[in-house]
Amino acid sequence: MKIGIPRALLYHYYGPLWEAFFRALDCEVVLSAPTTKATVERGSRRSIDEACLSSKIYMGHAEELLDRCDALFVPRMADEREGIMCSKFEALYDLTENTFRDRRPALVDFEIDRRAKKGERKAFVSLGKKLGKGRLASNLAYFSALRAFEEDRSRRAAALEDSLNADKFKFLVLAHPYVIFDDYVGRPLVELIRAQGAEPVFGCDADFASCLQASYRLTESLPWSFSRALCGAAVLYANRVDGIVLVSAFPCGPDSLVNEILIRRVRNRPILQLTLDAQDGTAGAETRLESFADIIRMRREAGHER
Amino acid sequence: MKAYLGIDIGSISTKGVVLDGEKNILAREYLWTEGNPVGAVKRLLAALRSQLTGAEVVSVGTTGSARKLIGVITGAAVVKNEITAHAVGTLSLHPDVRTVFEIGGQDSKIILLDQGVVTDYAMNTLCAAGTGSFLSSQARRLGVEVEDFGRIALTSQNPTPIAARCTVFAESDLVHKAQIGHSREDIIAGLCKAVVTNYLNNVAKGKAIRPPIVFQGGVSKNVGVVRAFEQAVGHPVIVDENGHLTGALGAAILARRSGKEAPFSFEIAEADFKTRGVNCGRCANQCEIICVYRDGKLLDAWGNRCEKGTVKA
Repeated sequence: MKIGIPRALLYHYYGPLWEAFFRALDCEVVLSAPTTKATVERGSRRSIDEACLSSKIYMGHAEELLDRCDALFVPRMADEREGIMCSKFEALYDLTENTFRDRRPALVDFEIDRRAKKGERKAFVSLGKKLGKGRLASNLAYFSALRAFEEDRSRRAAALEDSLNADKFKFLVLAHPYVIFDDYVGRPLVELIRAQGAEPVFGCDADFASCLQASYRLTESLPWSFSRALCGAAVLYANRVDGIVLVSAFPCGPDSLVNEILIRRVRNRPILQLTLDAQDGTAGAETRLESFADIIRMRREAGHER
Repeated sequence: MKAYLGIDIGSISTKGVVLDGEKNILAREYLWTEGNPVGAVKRLLAALRSQLTGAEVVSVGTTGSARKLIGVITGAAVVKNEITAHAVGTLSLHPDVRTVFEIGGQDSKIILLDQGVVTDYAMNTLCAAGTGSFLSSQARRLGVEVEDFGRIALTSQNPTPIAARCTVFAESDLVHKAQIGHSREDIIAGLCKAVVTNYLNNVAKGKAIRPPIVFQGGVSKNVGVVRAFEQAVGHPVIVDENGHLTGALGAAILARRSGKEAPFSFEIAEADFKTRGVNCGRCANQCEIICVYRDGKLLDAWGNRCEKGTVKA
């Protein structure tokens, strides 16, 4: 059986988990190609104007896969460890099904809703059932997938530590993984950061549990789990970098609050906020990143501490 | 004598200065870009050359939104963003400056400095509310030359409050206030105040504004806005007569500081430059690549998102 996974949204975080699960159950995984301008255009045509750029990109990826797989894997996630998810993840399955109603898509769903007592393992077992696999096989596949996922997370955490120790300017990049690791949206920005001679330190690669724990020093009440983890990364790493770059896809509800919290409460490092839309040019981002790097360099040369 | 050329090429105007090694201005020029940056720079170079005697330009710096294009054409040693260039230029005129307000045709920014070092800055978001283009469109509506705005605003005793958050709301508010009988000078003074309120609430939101304050950009020529700023922040606001040249000054100083020297000839004012947009069809991104030619020969190209679209000069 061929399972299609859109290379968008939470694929950029949970990809290794999902792929390993399907492979352990002898399914073939088909990924959509990295995002291009064509993906964004396709997705925008299929989305309402108010949807965020990352959601639009998701639809572009989903459409690409419809005819290339037996079933499209669309997760529905209501919460994640200590908090809820942005509502787009809760609505994703229904959105995808309705968006492509005319194409009668074959979708496999996967539902995590801890408040309704549907945890991760249960979700995978019921996903396996939909693929005709037994409870034992699904359980085993889940545990081997979990190992693959944890290996990926610790590899990323180690790379983050290496970046933090690099003998260079360092910018802590606080962005959702599906924004900053997207080939069309985030990658050019990462290249711009490197072009300034700075080392990007990706906050979303940090250990999730430690970040959640640290985040309470910044905010008690933030409801969104992934945003909370980014706040935690700011608490843990601000002192080890030269500046912080906040990158958001327009319009992001959680970020509009979280970025404001970060700007007001993280006072010991300069912060640059960049909002990305479907617009083509990188000129605006280039001007802002370059001047940000200049400022930090001038402060350093003038003997201000970092 | 060694000299350094700085060019600030914005969407509306093009500014150029030539400095000697001691930061003295040897030549200066200000003209309209008229949507043709290459043509504007050619005219700029011709004008600067006629003011110079015995100086040899050894290094060029460019800034402003067309800095890359003009940097290639002039073989610039330094191609810098507007914020850094303005900060460096302002510091050369006012070494003790702490706050720079800048309101131009399309954008506005604030730069904060401490002991000669930029510590923070902010730029407006994509919306042009409260910038020069907003004032000129309102001037047209009131049948007044925008150049007279400041003078008229100063005659008002009681500025009319105008909602400044959004150009569309401001415009309907303005029409309403005029219809219920507010005088023209009160409305104009209200508009100047609205620009300041909008700036302080958006661009300068949450920033500590400390004197000395320098105000730059086209809107700084409007005395009504200058007075509204002084009333709002409670400090004097300095408007330099060379304020429009600060970006170009900064670019020239950065060129000198770079230590990179290369032969430069004003002859390029006569050369034939062409730019061409090419759609790279090698992948789905369909990048638009800009190629710059001098006398038919490719100088440089950019705009590609990946190596597939690399064009070698």
